[in-house]
Amino acid sequence: MSISEADVRHVAILARLALSDEQVSRLKEEMNSILGHMDQMQSLDLEGVEPTSHSIPLRNATRPDVVKPGLSRDLALMNAPQAENGAFVIPRIVGVEEGA
Amino acid sequence: MARDRLPVVLERYEAVIGLEVHTELTTLNSKMFCGCPVEFGGEPNTRVCPVCLGLPGALPVPNEAAVEATVLAGLALNCEIAPFSQFHRKQYFYPDMPKDYQISQYDLPFCGLGHLDIEVDGDGAKQRVDLGAEPYATRIGVTRIHLEEDTGKMIHVGGVEGRIAGADHSLVDFNRAGTPLMELVSEPDIRTPEEARRFAQKLRLILLNLGVSDCSMEEGSMRVDGNISIRLRGETELGTKTEIKNMNSFKALHDALAFEIVRQADVLDEGGRIVQETRHWDVTAKRTSTLRSKEQAHDYRYFPEPDMVPFEFTPEWIDAIRVRLPELPDARRERFVRDFGLSPSDARSLSEDVEFSAYFEEAVALAGNSLAKPLANWALGDLSAYLNAGPVALADAKVTPAMLAELVEIIDDGTISGKQAKQVFAEMAESGDAPGAIIELKGMKQVSDTDAIEAAVDRVIAANPDEVASYRAGKTTLIGWFVGQVMREMRGQGNPALVNETLVRKLG
Amino acid sequence: MSFDVSTLSARAIRDGIAARTFSAAEVVDATYARIDAVEGAVHAFNELTPELAREAAGRIDAMVAAGEPLPPLAGVPTGFKDNMNLVGTHTTCSSKILEGFKSPYDCTAVRRLLNAGALPIGKCNMDEFAFGSSTENSAFGPTHNPWDLERVPGGSSGGSAASVSAGMVAVSLGSDTGGSIRQPGALTGTVAMKPTYGRVSRYGVVAFASSLDQIGPFARSVEDAALVLNAISGHDDMDATSVREPVPDFTATLGDGVKGLRIGVVRDMLELEGCAAEVRSATEASVKLLEGLCAEVGDVDLPMSQHGLAAYYIIGPAEASSNLARFDGIRYGHRVAEPSDVLDLYMRSRAEGFGPESIRRIMLGTYALSAGYYDAYYGTAQKTRTLITREFEAAFERFDVLITPTSPTVAFKIGERAEDPLAMYLSDVYTIPLNLAGLPGVSIPCAKCGTSGLPIGVQVIGKHFDEATMLQVAAALEGALALDMTPPAFPLHRRSS
Ligand SMILES: [Mg+2]
Ligand SMILES: [Zn+2]
Repeated sequence: MSISEADVRHVAILARLALSDEQVSRLKEEMNSILGHMDQMQSLDLEGVEPTSHSIPLRNATRPDVVKPGLSRDLALMNAPQAENGAFVIPRIVGVEEGA
Repeated sequence: MARDRLPVVLERYEAVIGLEVHTELTTLNSKMFCGCPVEFGGEPNTRVCPVCLGLPGALPVPNEAAVEATVLAGLALNCEIAPFSQFHRKQYFYPDMPKDYQISQYDLPFCGLGHLDIEVDGDGAKQRVDLGAEPYATRIGVTRIHLEEDTGKMIHVGGVEGRIAGADHSLVDFNRAGTPLMELVSEPDIRTPEEARRFAQKLRLILLNLGVSDCSMEEGSMRVDGNISIRLRGETELGTKTEIKNMNSFKALHDALAFEIVRQADVLDEGGRIVQETRHWDVTAKRTSTLRSKEQAHDYRYFPEPDMVPFEFTPEWIDAIRVRLPELPDARRERFVRDFGLSPSDARSLSEDVEFSAYFEEAVALAGNSLAKPLANWALGDLSAYLNAGPVALADAKVTPAMLAELVEIIDDGTISGKQAKQVFAEMAESGDAPGAIIELKGMKQVSDTDAIEAAVDRVIAANPDEVASYRAGKTTLIGWFVGQVMREMRGQGNPALVNETLVRKLG
Repeated sequence: MSFDVSTLSARAIRDGIAARTFSAAEVVDATYARIDAVEGAVHAFNELTPELAREAAGRIDAMVAAGEPLPPLAGVPTGFKDNMNLVGTHTTCSSKILEGFKSPYDCTAVRRLLNAGALPIGKCNMDEFAFGSSTENSAFGPTHNPWDLERVPGGSSGGSAASVSAGMVAVSLGSDTGGSIRQPGALTGTVAMKPTYGRVSRYGVVAFASSLDQIGPFARSVEDAALVLNAISGHDDMDATSVREPVPDFTATLGDGVKGLRIGVVRDMLELEGCAAEVRSATEASVKLLEGLCAEVGDVDLPMSQHGLAAYYIIGPAEASSNLARFDGIRYGHRVAEPSDVLDLYMRSRAEGFGPESIRRIMLGTYALSAGYYDAYYGTAQKTRTLITREFEAAFERFDVLITPTSPTVAFKIGERAEDPLAMYLSDVYTIPLNLAGLPGVSIPCAKCGTSGLPIGVQVIGKHFDEATMLQVAAALEGALALDMTPPAFPLHRRSS
């Protein structure tokens, strides 16, 4: 698989990174080189092998439905770049509305 | 109006509808992955912690009660409970989502295939032209039920009606972020807006019966989205679908789908093509409009949530949840018809709400099955009217099941008439006093106790032949004396008017 | 009273305070005096926290005055990697995107160490978001190896390693996703260990790759490392991946020797092309020593683990790309000036705030998870991970611990590998397979390079949750080697007798 500059630009939008043309072309080279190296895994016989997302066999880790103290509003907003009336302020949203 | 044209359109086109229902598990104490309380409203950012604010280094730990509630819902909807399930991350950037991914479930949800049976009657049945517009029952498949977290809320400032479009900036409040959110996806088995409404209403009833949510569409704790396409009748290929959002009442759900069917038919009739897109229901304008098109669709890059471990439910664990399944409205309705001899329609009305049906059953248990029918009439009549008029929550009602049972017993033994009972009920609802006490206090018991009055009158007449003769000879002023005698005979508890009336009749 | 804090072990400091030989307050003074002398050249810290340290020392001294028993790490000067939250400090991950970020809450492991009496001396420099093996990828400048200031200390926990190596703190915490504790441990001549995945809570350490990250100690002795592990281990209900395994006293078995223990030398790894000859021979020599101590030594090959690097550079960036999404300039962190709208805010804040290696990993990870590539990359890597885990399981049926070098080379020059990401990534070829399999590993200094005099580390690998046996082997080797790991560039002050 080979990555084009268009691929890099598409991925940069997914990742929300404004990249310069120079960054795009350098990343294209680096990603191709690194992923080329990773292609060695394709030589493995992985037929019927289950994927591992965790190396320890833990299951069903939950917490009881109990309320615990959280952060005061001052602490919650302590690092906010911009806050107003106890809320985080963001510039206008252009485009779409999302839902869960 | 779309509504008016719907029957004509449905003559030619068949609609294919699937619903997505998001329900906040509002009855839980704490959020999905942290210990912040689940509550509605409140000052912005006062119910947050490092986890639900997505602070660097914070980790989610799933709420076991939320997992159990989802499995309970799955069991209630006849779903297969997955032996192996997992949370995934659904990734997209949005300011109301603190981590810029939503912890959700992807290909391994807690609950798989299930179904919900609905009944359609009345005008709604007419939408199924193919079924002869008769009342019918139909089964709607449930594709899956999974668990995820809700987002925060935004207030858009400087625009129109709080909408994003035209706003100058927005304020973000994360109080709601991380609220446990259960998502149900139905199969595209729904054919009419009315079926969609009935499905959503029945689902709401079931979830209320399970006690997992307050299911308030107004407050957004239950949110329904619809996927809809149409095709010419007889066609087997599916048409291009649109997704409708923002239908925040059952009426809106019905009307938005009706609008969309007619809109899609108009597009096709004019030789156009349906564009796959998400549309927004505008309640005021009563129309749907484009929100975003497929080209803007996201690449969510789902992958297994590495901050959590998978779930493996043993059959024993699932059985332990199954034991907690309450009786659901359908089963209860059947039982009310079978055991209490109620009409199916009364039984349905009484069985829907878990508290109301429990109230009714408590009264029946006290008064006996033989009085179930009058109890049903009282519950659906005066009691419901009183609760609705307040409105009064059943839990706050001054009329208890025991009081209603006593009232019906008193009516049954003839102590008071039905008409008087209505007064007694009104008094009960007002004062919270027991019916016996009210009857005593208002002297209503005596009023209606005609046998006792007649017996006393008879005794007085028999004991005073001279006075009777005088009266009958024309000395009608003696009536006062007779009333006094009867009242004394009844130790002052007789109703003077009734005593008078009885005396006049017997003496005359 | 005269003492040199830079030479004392954690245990000696605690005992000295308990015996009233010196006070915790004096330990704090001596520590910052040492830092004054050394830090300018090394740059191990992003932030020093003398007020927090004095406060903590005050509590210890009050306990001494009241005759109360002291906790196990009372008065021990400690450094924390700058990706661990601690109220009263900034947590920057050495990134411009978090510059000035004040911790509103505590990392569990940090809190536990402080509860064990440790003194918080400062927050240690690191590769930005732990992406790197040299601590050159820090927005605040590189850390220098105390053994040779021209060279890197390894990474990503290079500041934590250098602070211990240079005698500025007795112990420190680092985080290890693919070798970020063990590799800098080897390059700075310190004892450095990564516990079993799930042994130590990850709550409050800024995540790099959630399924691989683990917090662990740096120390100047195996015993000190075991003391720290005692303090930070155990279940935490704030981390769903933390286990409920019982936590033994890891110091209890350190003196038990290796007689009869089955030790497997991972032969194919040792013979890997790219492994420096002196590293190979130092490892062989260590094995010989263990054999001399009556361990049963054998060879084992782990061919699947050779694919560990490939799997790791998919899984790590994939998880990282997701974990770093939250740095969006909305709730905290760098926000670009005058954003035209939210999308512009995201795009430019992140591009400005993240350094080049972070951007590289985010891009790689996003690509590996994107539509159409998931199976080829992420799916394949997760399956490879299964094979690596199985291979270790099979090896541990034959052996109690396994031995490999920690790093294929000694510390390299600053700038030497900066332009070649792949060469940099190879630094972790021996350490990565353990993260993929969740196994514990410890690096201890086993030699000084004959030509450069730089430290060489050997890695002892244990079974899941059997850090005790692993540390027992490490302690036996440490005792037999009896190396003086004083960096010549910074001769530790000897106590004047
Ligand atoms: Mg959803
Ligand atoms: Zn919270």
